[in-house]
Amino acid sequence: MTPVLEVRQLSARYGRVEALHEISLSVADGEFVAVLGPNGAGKSTLMRAIMGLIANSGAVSFRGAVLPRQSPDTCVARGVVLVPEGRGIFAPMTVAENLELGAYLLNDADEFERRRTRVFDLFPRLRERLGQIAGSLSGGEQQMLAVGRALMANPKILLLDEPSLGLAPKVTDEILGTLALLNKGGLPIVLVEQKAPLALRLTSRAYLLSVGRLVAEIDPRTITSHDELARYYLS
Amino acid sequence: MPDLSYLPQIALSGIAVGCIYGLIGIGFCVIYNASGIVNFAQGAFVMMGGMIAYSVLNTLGLPLPIAAAVTIVAVAAAGVAIERVVVRPLWDRKATMFVMILATLAAQIVIERLALIVAGDQPKTLPQFTDLPPIRLGVVVISYQFLWIVGVSLLLIVLLGQFFKRTKAGKAMRACAFNREAASLQGINVSRMLALSFALSAALGAVAGVLITPTQYTAFNVGVPFAISGFIAAIVGGFGRPLGAFMGGIMLGLTQSMAIVAFGAGLKNVAALSVLLIFLFIRPGGILGEAK
Ligand SMILES: Nc1ncnc2c1ncn2[C@@H]1O[C@H](COP(=O)(O)OP(=O)(O)OP(=O)(O)O)[C@@H](O)[C@H]1O
Ligand SMILES: [Mg+2]
Repeated sequence: MTPVLEVRQLSARYGRVEALHEISLSVADGEFVAVLGPNGAGKSTLMRAIMGLIANSGAVSFRGAVLPRQSPDTCVARGVVLVPEGRGIFAPMTVAENLELGAYLLNDADEFERRRTRVFDLFPRLRERLGQIAGSLSGGEQQMLAVGRALMANPKILLLDEPSLGLAPKVTDEILGTLALLNKGGLPIVLVEQKAPLALRLTSRAYLLSVGRLVAEIDPRTITSHDELARYYLS
Repeated sequence: MPDLSYLPQIALSGIAVGCIYGLIGIGFCVIYNASGIVNFAQGAFVMMGGMIAYSVLNTLGLPLPIAAAVTIVAVAAAGVAIERVVVRPLWDRKATMFVMILATLAAQIVIERLALIVAGDQPKTLPQFTDLPPIRLGVVVISYQFLWIVGVSLLLIVLLGQFFKRTKAGKAMRACAFNREAASLQGINVSRMLALSFALSAALGAVAGVLITPTQYTAFNVGVPFAISGFIAAIVGGFGRPLGAFMGGIMLGLTQSMAIVAFGAGLKNVAALSVLLIFLFIRPGGILGEAK
């Protein structure tokens, strides 16, 4: 299958420290892919580099077209949307305003309402919280808002950076369940996770990152025990 | 002991000039919020406001409202030009705040010297907007220009509030103020917001310049003192909070005008800087507390 997202030889640095070394990976249409790795492996850096949030070298293309290397807004316009680590919601603004900003590039009131209705169907709680200040939501609700806001951009591929961070298992399940649903609907998803077992339950393929390098590509079906996974981490 | 019956009158003039400081302070906030940049060319916008209005009025002979409108548009364009020529190249290289302050201050000085070359060193003034005798209310005399200054300032604050609250561009600017990276992940072109913030601040500065010039004068070198006062207003208000900056401006204007009467005009800036120091000591977050 031809890949929708293709990352070739992507490197990035913070000052003199290289945080990402020549990463190449690809995501096929409709795929649910995980990016795993321990603390500081470079998972977030990889997401930021794909979106062009930090200076990087290499190439990222989406549906055959090369994405400009330092223009996050162009990536969003092309349908590549990231839910960043720590959610990045606009805490002093209302839930409604956050959702509106998610659809910043859209200028069509009817389509806006359609997208919002779909988000409410997925996260009914957001409808109840519309007028509330986003910063006053619970952690789980904030993560739902972050995902909902990303969906307002009508992504053609959705990247998520540790959406489970700091959430109770029940809420995490709820959000990951929604992601599975979206993926069933045809949306390709890249999920960054530190907690590998969580991600491997859902995804069809996983990349393992360690100190800025791609060290393995895992087929979750072949991973049957914790020990096997631990071996990957340690090797 | 100065005659206390003058006090209300002095307060009025303090409020008027305070509104001007407040508008300039808001200009600082708008740019700072959109970008984290402290733009010291802010004073140049005020100076250009007065000077350009004067030339348009006197050389082109346009009526005052049209001259004011032309001036505001021209100064907003100058703001965008400064953003493009001076700020953007440094911004793209992730220059530090100190570099930005120096660069914008340099831009201020260049504009000031250009104004000197083009317009000469003679002070200029504008006619009062409404040529009627002032209103007398007991011991106080209220000039129409005072009403213009206060009225336009309040109107601008209301409009600005609506802009940030209701329009898409305003919301996008607030999003940038809170988290630029997250804003860019929504598809917001952050550097276009930067240009917009410069246009907006420059327009505010121009309005301030056009409003205040009839009560005093304008010259190539009025920019820096206005920038300093506006900067103090912004700090006193809690940097990045437009409403706070406006309140800070009025407080500063009042303090200055009281100080002029009590100690003489020479101590006006001492009073201004004292306000700043006192605030930095007792309430470093400003009147409304620090933004963010
Ligand atoms: N802003 C920064 N400045 C300097 N170094 C950074 C910065 N952000 C990350 N790093 C470094 O880059 C490396 C990769 O960090 P990154 O945040 O991408 O890891 P991660 O895999 O997302 O980790 P985590 O699971 O904790 O989120 C780390 O060594 C980190 O210390
Ligand atoms: Mg991370």
